Amino acid sequence: MATLLFEIGTEELPSWFVRQSDEVIGGIVSARLGGAGLEHGAIRSYATPRRLAVLVDGLAPFSERRADVRRGPAASAAFEADGRPTKAAIGFARSNDIDPADLVVEETEKGRYVFARREVGGDPAAELLPALLAGVVDDLPAPRKMRWGDGDAAFVRPLAWLVALLDDAVIPVRYAGIEAGRTTRGHRFLHEGPVELAHAGEYSEALARASVGADRAERKASVIASAESAAAAVDLRLERDGALEDEVTDLVESPSAILGSFDARFLDLPDAVLATVMIHHQRFFPTRERGGDLAASFVAISNNRVPDDRVVRGGYEQVLRGRLDDARFFWDADRRDTLARHAWALAGIAFHKELGSMADKVARVAKATRRLAELLGVSKEEAAVLKQALPLFRADLATQMVYELPELEGTMGCAYARAEGLPDAVAVALEDGVLPRGPSGPLAATRVGALLSIADRLDTVTGFFAIGRRPSGSADPFGVRRAALGALRTLTAQGWRVPLPKVLEAVAGSFSAPVIEDDVLADVERYLWDRVAGLLAEEAVAPMVVRAAVHGSRSVIGAARRAHLLQGLVALPGFADLLTLHKRAANLAKQTGGAARVKPGLFRDPVEGPLHDALPEARRGVERLMAGVRKQLAPWDLGRGPGAELSDLDAAVAEVVRLKAPLDAFFEGVMVMVDDAEVRGNRLALLAEVADALSDLGALSYLEAPGET
Amino acid sequence: MRFQEMTMALDRFWADRGCVIAPPHDTEVGAGTFYPTTFLRALGPEPWRVAGIAPSRRPADGRYGQNPYRFQYYYQYQVVLKPSPADVQDTYLASLYHLGIDPLAHDIRFVEDNWESPTLGAWGLGWEVWMDGMEITQFTYFQQVGGIDCAPVSVELTYGLERLAMYLQGAQHAFDVEVAPGVTLGNLREDFERQHCTYNFDHVDADLQRLLFDRFEVETQRLLGLDLVHPAYEFALRCSHAFNLLDARGVLSHTERQGFVQRVRRLTEACASAYLAARTSDAPAEVA
Repeated sequence: MATLLFEIGTEELPSWFVRQSDEVIGGIVSARLGGAGLEHGAIRSYATPRRLAVLVDGLAPFSERRADVRRGPAASAAFEADGRPTKAAIGFARSNDIDPADLVVEETEKGRYVFARREVGGDPAAELLPALLAGVVDDLPAPRKMRWGDGDAAFVRPLAWLVALLDDAVIPVRYAGIEAGRTTRGHRFLHEGPVELAHAGEYSEALARASVGADRAERKASVIASAESAAAAVDLRLERDGALEDEVTDLVESPSAILGSFDARFLDLPDAVLATVMIHHQRFFPTRERGGDLAASFVAISNNRVPDDRVVRGGYEQVLRGRLDDARFFWDADRRDTLARHAWALAGIAFHKELGSMADKVARVAKATRRLAELLGVSKEEAAVLKQALPLFRADLATQMVYELPELEGTMGCAYARAEGLPDAVAVALEDGVLPRGPSGPLAATRVGALLSIADRLDTVTGFFAIGRRPSGSADPFGVRRAALGALRTLTAQGWRVPLPKVLEAVAGSFSAPVIEDDVLADVERYLWDRVAGLLAEEAVAPMVVRAAVHGSRSVIGAARRAHLLQGLVALPGFADLLTLHKRAANLAKQTGGAARVKPGLFRDPVEGPLHDALPEARRGVERLMAGVRKQLAPWDLGRGPGAELSDLDAAVAEVVRLKAPLDAFFEGVMVMVDDAEVRGNRLALLAEVADALSDLGALSYLEAPGET
Repeated sequence: MRFQEMTMALDRFWADRGCVIAPPHDTEVGAGTFYPTTFLRALGPEPWRVAGIAPSRRPADGRYGQNPYRFQYYYQYQVVLKPSPADVQDTYLASLYHLGIDPLAHDIRFVEDNWESPTLGAWGLGWEVWMDGMEITQFTYFQQVGGIDCAPVSVELTYGLERLAMYLQGAQHAFDVEVAPGVTLGNLREDFERQHCTYNFDHVDADLQRLLFDRFEVETQRLLGLDLVHPAYEFALRCSHAFNLLDARGVLSHTERQGFVQRVRRLTEACASAYLAARTSDAPAEVA
């Protein structure tokens, strides 16, 4: 058993690609080795801005021997009448490198066929690895690769060197004109000269000596630890930020923290502005005082350990001062106008040429929000907040600060509203209304904010559907999918039990050009339900259960709750049996062709009465189940799963399942389709009631009982 | 190191590495990338190395000289190497050393940058080079120029000269940078900057620039019809500048702006194709 090292040396990689590759490269190598029949032990990955590497333990010296069986022509076409192989058979044998006499005939489902069977494998690993490892470079996924120099090879950034060692022997991998060797490189600035590796196993130690922290997890831990201790040294607390920690980890090979500071007069800028400038623009960690206020200091992670860090610190501080000066300029300039005046400027900002300006959009959103508020009901106080917030919603888009720092949209609306002295609830609604910012970003916490957010997002979805720009495949240039998901998550989290079509009508009614046709709105609704199904799938609800819940619901929260209830119910054996019977009843009941009432006087068989008598209890059980689910599953962020599990529903389930015995007896005892039209109609009506009794649980016809196919 | 010594040092450094030191082009451009010695020469298989100071104009970026970093007229130092050499990062770092910046004493990073120029039909991948948190250079491997795949690939290095000089001289504002003994960048450019900002933002005659754009556009096409690629490309550059002035003046709606971008792009792409077809007479001498 041997140890394999493969290192791809590059010019500086994008930080997201370093992280992504660290996660996937082990799987890619394992899949390639598996495909070649090479057994192996543990795989460790390494990733820095300048290298991606794997270290494979316990690699088998030879590929596994196994039988390779390939199907050839049908037996009838493979042999002449006298048993000699035909041309087709000879060609097939030759292409598989065996003697035609060794072809075998076997019976298959499709008839008798000729097969070529041969032993493969047993190849030395060292012979298989060059092509296999070159394939690993190809397999690393990236949305966009580049070429360099005068070659045709493409990668995320130019390749600089390759190392491929099987124990102490070089594997001659070639890629992009580079021949692999045993020479790697150390830190770009902290280590001079090449690093020779005698053996694959000494990789990480040799790099550590050359000032490279190759293990990503260890390097990340060291980024955090050094940043925290730099802050703690001056009695400050580091502001943790997961995305920044990840990014910084992949911008350095040898992290060292440098504490810097800025003029305290900048501290009267909103915290979000300071944090955005430090984190997004400079990749600095903000710090806080013991009391929790932002401090006028930051921690930067340098990739270089310089003899005198005053120069580097001075550079960091000067750049930050320039950025904060800019921010201060915008903050002062923007506040010379009120948000209401900034809102006027929205007319000059295009939303989309067929959907008008941002002013047009915001006007539609205001209309839709008011309709939604009526539909959903808001308190007097909320209505007052809404009234003040609507004319100012998204007005901050017209401010210089948001123009320069677009990630602060909403946040600035809130900050400027506060600075104007508007009520806090109005300020909060302006920020809440732009939430969620991403697929997992936090949702609007206030009802008013949620109304704005839903109306704004559904306006986007509906508008782009109306002009024929619905997302297709992975292409979604206008963010329609993102808008849809944001609206659905917010709607569910608010727990509003309002039919989705009603919500959409409120939105569609605010459009004048384009007018939203019914078929477009139906399309939008289908699209949204598909997204609901997708979010429920993320909560590990089975596909058939998702379909039953979605098709059996009018509101999104209803679908979400039903999905989790049904997910539990289908696992109960008694309920599964009931489902089978229920499906039969529902299928027969389809023939009633109307809402005929059941007339007990027309019962002709002793099993009909008991079934009829059992219905009220079943209905009660269903009601209790639904009430229980509503009580136990508080509204949640769709896609992340409810916070609670269902429990104590056994009694209600039993009430429903008790319908099974009389229903079973009914199907055993009577023929439904008898000649007597009255009796037949009455029995169908009874079955329709059975179907109806359970219908509140969802579109049960989509469910399959276990074992049913 | 004074500003003019910096540019002379860069000229010397890149001349020693086989670059033609080309004087600035005399048509207004938004960046060195628009220079014919970059845009056109990045096309085709011939090796090419060029360097030099590239004055550029971005009317919308002006701040009347108030912001220490942002100007409507500024200096880039532009280097293009075709094909991109395998050791170009090391060479670049050596050029900083040549300017008196010891990479071992600073925190220098190559931070992902995906570059795209919609008006040039061009894109590339590379980095912003950060020194102690400040972006000092854009480093781009051209993948497409004028809508045409680059083969071989050129690498473009664009130094932000004002920033580098500020850093080297410890100046807080670009206008405080000393160019020659007793002469600052402010002495050279302060009035120029302020007056052009006033012109760009308040006094650009929008009707005139629209008219010029339309006429220059027709002229570009007419010249292309006569196989006069170089004059045609200069008229395409003039279109681009007219568009930039209209943009700074704030008279373009979002949609209209997109329309102008497309029109400039169509012209530059047509020039690129025509250049590629007709360039044999331009084939440069062997580059060292």
